[in-house]
Amino acid sequence: MAQYETILLKNMEQPGYSGSLEDYERAGGYQALRKVLKDMQPDQVIEEVKKSSLRGRGGAGFPTGVKWGFIPKDHPGPKYLCCNADESEPGTFKDRQLMERDPHQMLEGMAITCFAIGAETSYVYIRGEFRLGAKILEKAVQEAKAAGYLGENVLGTGRTINIFVHAGAGAYICGEETALLESLEGKRGQPRFKPPFPATHGLYQKPTVVNNVETMANIPHIMNKGGEWFAGIGSPPKSCGTRIFCLSGHVNRPGNYEVPMGMPFREFIYDVGGGMRSDKPLKAFIPGGASAPFLTPEHLDVKMDFEAVAMAGSMLGSGGVTVMEEGTSMVWAALRLMEFFYHESCGKCTPCREGSSWLTQILQRIWNKQGRQGDLDLLDELCKNIAGRTICAFGEAEVGPIQSTLKYFRHEYEELIREAEATRPQSKEIPVFTH
Amino acid sequence: MGSMNLKEWVKTLTFYELLLGMKATLSHLLKYKPITLQYPHEKKQLPSNYRGMLALLRYDDGTEKCVGCDLCEAACPSRVIRVVSAEVPEEPAKRYSKEYYMDMTRCLFCGLCVKACPVDALGMTQEYEWAVYDKRQLHLNKQQLLAIGDRNFPVREKRLEFQHPNVAYFNVGFKEIPQKDVE
Amino acid sequence: MPTPSTTTETVTLTIDGQTATVPKGTLVIEAARQVGVMVPHFCYHPKLTPDANCRMCLVEIEKMPRLQTSCSTQATEGMVVKSSSSVQAQEARKMVLDFILANHPLDCPVCDQGGRCDLQDFSHEYTATSSRFQELKRVFPKEYFSPLIETQMNRCVQCMRCVRYCDQIMDVKALAPTGRGTLTEIKAFGAHELDCEFCGGCVQICPVGAITSRLSMYEFRPWMLKRTDSVCGYCGDGCQITFQTKDNALIEINSTQGSGRNNGDLCARGYFGYHVSEHPDRLTLPLIRKGDEFQSVQWEEALELVGQQLLDVKAKYGADAIGGLISGRCTNEDIYVFQKFMRGVVGTNRIDSSARYGHLNGVHALQRVQGTHRWSVSFEDIESADTLLLVGTNITETNPITGLKVKEAVKRRGAKLITIEALNPAIGSISNIVNLAQQHLGVKPTGFSTAILGLLKAVVEQSILDAELQGKAPAYFNAISARLQALSWDAIFAQTGLASDLFTEAAQVFGQGKKVVVLVGPGVLRSEGGFGMTMNLMDLLLITGKLTNPGCGLAPLAEENNDQGAFEMGGTGAVLPGGTSLGDPAVRENLSKAWGRPIPDTPGSSLPQLIEDAQQGKLKALFVVGENPLASLPPSSGIHSALEKLDFLVCQELFLTETAQKAHVVLPACSYAEKDGTFTNTEGHIQSVRTAIDMVGESRPDWEIFSALSVMMNNPMEYGDVKEIGKEIRNLLPGTRTLGPAPLPAQPDSSAIARYVTTDYQRDIAPRYQLPVNDAATDEITLQVSQSLFHSGKFSRKAKGLLQVEATGKIYLHPEEAARRGISDGDMVKVSNSLGEVLTPVGLRERIPQGVATFPEHFDEEIRQLLPYKVDPETQVPYYKLARVHLKKVVGS
Repeated sequence: MAQYETILLKNMEQPGYSGSLEDYERAGGYQALRKVLKDMQPDQVIEEVKKSSLRGRGGAGFPTGVKWGFIPKDHPGPKYLCCNADESEPGTFKDRQLMERDPHQMLEGMAITCFAIGAETSYVYIRGEFRLGAKILEKAVQEAKAAGYLGENVLGTGRTINIFVHAGAGAYICGEETALLESLEGKRGQPRFKPPFPATHGLYQKPTVVNNVETMANIPHIMNKGGEWFAGIGSPPKSCGTRIFCLSGHVNRPGNYEVPMGMPFREFIYDVGGGMRSDKPLKAFIPGGASAPFLTPEHLDVKMDFEAVAMAGSMLGSGGVTVMEEGTSMVWAALRLMEFFYHESCGKCTPCREGSSWLTQILQRIWNKQGRQGDLDLLDELCKNIAGRTICAFGEAEVGPIQSTLKYFRHEYEELIREAEATRPQSKEIPVFTH
Repeated sequence: MGSMNLKEWVKTLTFYELLLGMKATLSHLLKYKPITLQYPHEKKQLPSNYRGMLALLRYDDGTEKCVGCDLCEAACPSRVIRVVSAEVPEEPAKRYSKEYYMDMTRCLFCGLCVKACPVDALGMTQEYEWAVYDKRQLHLNKQQLLAIGDRNFPVREKRLEFQHPNVAYFNVGFKEIPQKDVE
Repeated sequence: MPTPSTTTETVTLTIDGQTATVPKGTLVIEAARQVGVMVPHFCYHPKLTPDANCRMCLVEIEKMPRLQTSCSTQATEGMVVKSSSSVQAQEARKMVLDFILANHPLDCPVCDQGGRCDLQDFSHEYTATSSRFQELKRVFPKEYFSPLIETQMNRCVQCMRCVRYCDQIMDVKALAPTGRGTLTEIKAFGAHELDCEFCGGCVQICPVGAITSRLSMYEFRPWMLKRTDSVCGYCGDGCQITFQTKDNALIEINSTQGSGRNNGDLCARGYFGYHVSEHPDRLTLPLIRKGDEFQSVQWEEALELVGQQLLDVKAKYGADAIGGLISGRCTNEDIYVFQKFMRGVVGTNRIDSSARYGHLNGVHALQRVQGTHRWSVSFEDIESADTLLLVGTNITETNPITGLKVKEAVKRRGAKLITIEALNPAIGSISNIVNLAQQHLGVKPTGFSTAILGLLKAVVEQSILDAELQGKAPAYFNAISARLQALSWDAIFAQTGLASDLFTEAAQVFGQGKKVVVLVGPGVLRSEGGFGMTMNLMDLLLITGKLTNPGCGLAPLAEENNDQGAFEMGGTGAVLPGGTSLGDPAVRENLSKAWGRPIPDTPGSSLPQLIEDAQQGKLKALFVVGENPLASLPPSSGIHSALEKLDFLVCQELFLTETAQKAHVVLPACSYAEKDGTFTNTEGHIQSVRTAIDMVGESRPDWEIFSALSVMMNNPMEYGDVKEIGKEIRNLLPGTRTLGPAPLPAQPDSSAIARYVTTDYQRDIAPRYQLPVNDAATDEITLQVSQSLFHSGKFSRKAKGLLQVEATGKIYLHPEEAARRGISDGDMVKVSNSLGEVLTPVGLRERIPQGVATFPEHFDEEIRQLLPYKVDPETQVPYYKLARVHLKKVVGS
């Protein structure tokens, strides 16, 4: 297996690295913040990030520098930065490692971002289940505050940068940026309709930047080594830098791997991940977290960058690669994901609210061999009418697995339905569906 | 002119036109069969879809089917029906007809009320002998209508039992609902 | 929410081939409505901020990537919108309906909304008859039944209109969604049945049958209902209501969005209090006293007796031995004919109306300073004001719909709110206006006068004064500031507990306002010194130069629906129709010419005077119309002995009230649901009352009875119908010709102001600018008998819906106050002072300040014996709402 130069995981790969402020400083930490505060203007920071072509690591892949540039410069009153640490996507577990093992890296990134966009207050919205992560972050914030990297009068510059850690209450949808803001405001975690976008009307209707943990963690390195250095890694011009991919499923070595963008999936799964767990061949894989449509072995040579995966009909999303071997039922896989989405649909928009329960019930019926003729057409139509008809991207996400499995593995569905038709019990039993 | 007159004359003499007119009558004279029913002693066999006296029906467990939705009242073209609906006293949020009146003096027996009923609580019986001395006796109340139903429909529909008690009656989400079995 | 823009900039767009020109910022759905294109929707409502959750209003907009929700998209120049002409949008709507119907129970036949349900209508329009949903429907078990509002969450389409209405319009926040996804359910906070303001807004705004009224549940189908637009007969707000009747039975009340002064919003009284007219206790025949019993008689006999008795008394003791008292709940026409009957037929000016109980203080202050007897502001001015001052209003409970205007101004339009209220900022089951205040000066009910003086002192000290007027009337300014300087901040602090900087801040906020409206409520108008306090508030507006600015003014809130009309129609003795003075011979002459009857030149008298005269035997007969002084006034007023001394008491009433039980003759009158006429609301807006149901029994409209009596008394005053009276009033008083769309409010009269600032102010400036004497003992508590949101006078106690919310009186205390005294919720306490003692249960409310106890006036049968009685020397308003009492827990309760 080839070794790749890591950026984000570099510190924690060192033996004995505890993630404390001491260790982080020893590894060259907070030098970027010193440099930025001393030598640079906010505009220069934004320019540097734009130069680096860093794109959001949360899922949508929006260019970070551009996002920061949308913040109105002359806005009176407060602006906010929110770090989205509500990592709840099935198959994704990179932010957790970044927060638990090297919290200062992301805090430094947040401090630099606050400086760049002119925010004094920032929040880490951490997933409620990450109790340990929240504790570690809280401790790290106190450490940094004591050392003068955060709080009032940061490093003697008179600037105020406060970071607060806020734990969510266990809703997947709060990873959506506007739902996150609603939840942070103390309201029911449901997406807002856009426009207006958070860049102008975000937290408490003030200009707000919402960035992923991994995005934040990249910032100190870009500041240290320059945007051009970052833009040279990976697959320029659009997908630059390294990225942490979370490998799971039927592979030999599941885990977090930081690799340059643009590596083909084949190399990642077979070389980095050590290949398939058993001698069964690969049947399908999810390239970017549960909400990304499935891909098949024929897509193994697709490069792991935003554009190439999109061309292949899926998305790079949050970077969670889940591999399934031959023999896995795709109907079951789709059902499992659909049950997750049914459980997590916030219930604001009609198509997603009602559609998720409808789709789940149909899939459950098909899987329980009680499918009917016409179910697949109905699935197709429901999916078509959920995607693009909702406020947030959840609508697209929840139909992705079904649409892609219907596309590549329709025969598996048909087989189950055929079986059901043949063995349909004469008694008109009602399928049981429990919430 | 003369021959024409003769022809006319013969026709007149033999009552030809009269015979022509009576042709149908005379032809039936031979194959006589009485068609008058000696009514009180003899009764006609009614077609199965005969629209006779209206009745209110019950489920097999004796509960009234009527949910007091007033749709029969709305459907009735001659304002025969008056429904006073209310909440079932012991079961909150459940609707029934507290009072139900039919003024049969006005009824057209069009059957629209039966069609309109969402729970098949109305039926048309084969009864038609409803001559009374006092018109007011044709103003029927709920008990009378239920009694008509009881005596005309001894076989009752089974009550659907798979609905939640709080969802009044119509939470039927299946196409393949269990058929309304008639015991 | 796009705030209503003040720019006149317009954009032009095309909707389904039609061109619409609308103001910039208009939503596409509204623009479509204007050109007659109905875009189907559930969650959108013009009153609420768009939420875009139902996805029903999807439209195709050219150059936009996917279908857009027309309820959240603003119209832009040149936009091309396709609604019903877009196949894609139509298909999407069909599918949205399919989704909604997936879990919607098919119980339309038993649903009260069936027949007027948006979901039903759209289903008929868009979808096939059978659903493709063949799975299990989700079913919510029902946990709690509310007394008035029925919730059937299985029918809910999760549009959140009710939740948003409850929060944004009512500011109650009683409803909230719980659960996630399809299991989202609207519930009341906490594990109990709904406990809120019961405004009925959620019932009205629900597009489906998920929230319905329990009062009329299953009694009707919408197509059976007859609609009658009328006006609510409870408080002075004058809300438009629509009676929905079925076969002469009142089924429910609605109010239409966009109509009336209330814009479709109602309160519990308006929405659930309509059963009064149908109460079984209604009088159906005239009653004549035979010994201790009443005997039902026919109208002829009763009228003959009343006419004869009145003539006898007049012949024996003179016309001034006869007095009249009319309720502010009667229509303008009734009051007008009554005072014409008393003045023209009986020949006396000794009449009074229930405007005397407090509203007169406000009207007289307005008349004296600015020369108008109406507000110089309207509800629209309240909504668009930038600074509002509320003094002693407790507005949520007294005038809830005016309260909504205040909430709109503060919550939506960013007005600054200053409150001088006997309320604590606290969250409760009903909204609390103090929570919205930027500057809250919390005082006890006895402290309003001191707090107003404190505010005036701060204004003078900060020199927030109108220099121009100061130049014109320096003596007036000097007199005020001299008197204010004499008051020390320490003394003000001692009485209110508020430090000088609080007053200073409030004064600065007040001074910065460009459009300032001061609302005065019963806390001021009905408590001792009410007239003085109102005058001081007029001074406040005057010296800061705000009184004459457009959009600024003082707004005294009327408690009864036609208090304002009672004054304007001449229902208060010394005032003739149109608010003109009885003392002016020219006015009297004009009027007597118009009536063809002489108007007596004897002075008019007030209710306190009538009581006094009756006690002294100078008043022999009293004609009481719809008023119940025995239940309104405390025993300390001497009303009992006064009524007993009368030779002849006639009561014209709906019910056999306490006063009617003492009467010699009781005449049955109609309620507001059974007659035509007009009401004048608190802002002086005259609105039509219309007949919704037939007259109950043999009851008759009041004016018809007066008219018949005049015939009996050989001085006929005949009218064919109520329109003839209306015509007579309009001919007589050009100012009342304002039925219809919002009138321009009256403008302050500069000559009246000039007169006031030069000489008139001197008359009573000394008593007004004095701190009240505070002689409270330490363990005494201030008892305030006040109005509850769920009742209006004693009248609403016959409404079964309202009784389900509040049926008994309790003495309400702050929890800490109660804890200090060892009292807990539900305990019985002995309330006592020198006038007597009363046992009553205790309720706890956090919004009541410490040292204060309140008791709803609607249930004050016993507690009113503790109330001292005092009469205002200037306006003759009786004050009896406050008392000092001791509280003691009854052991063993």
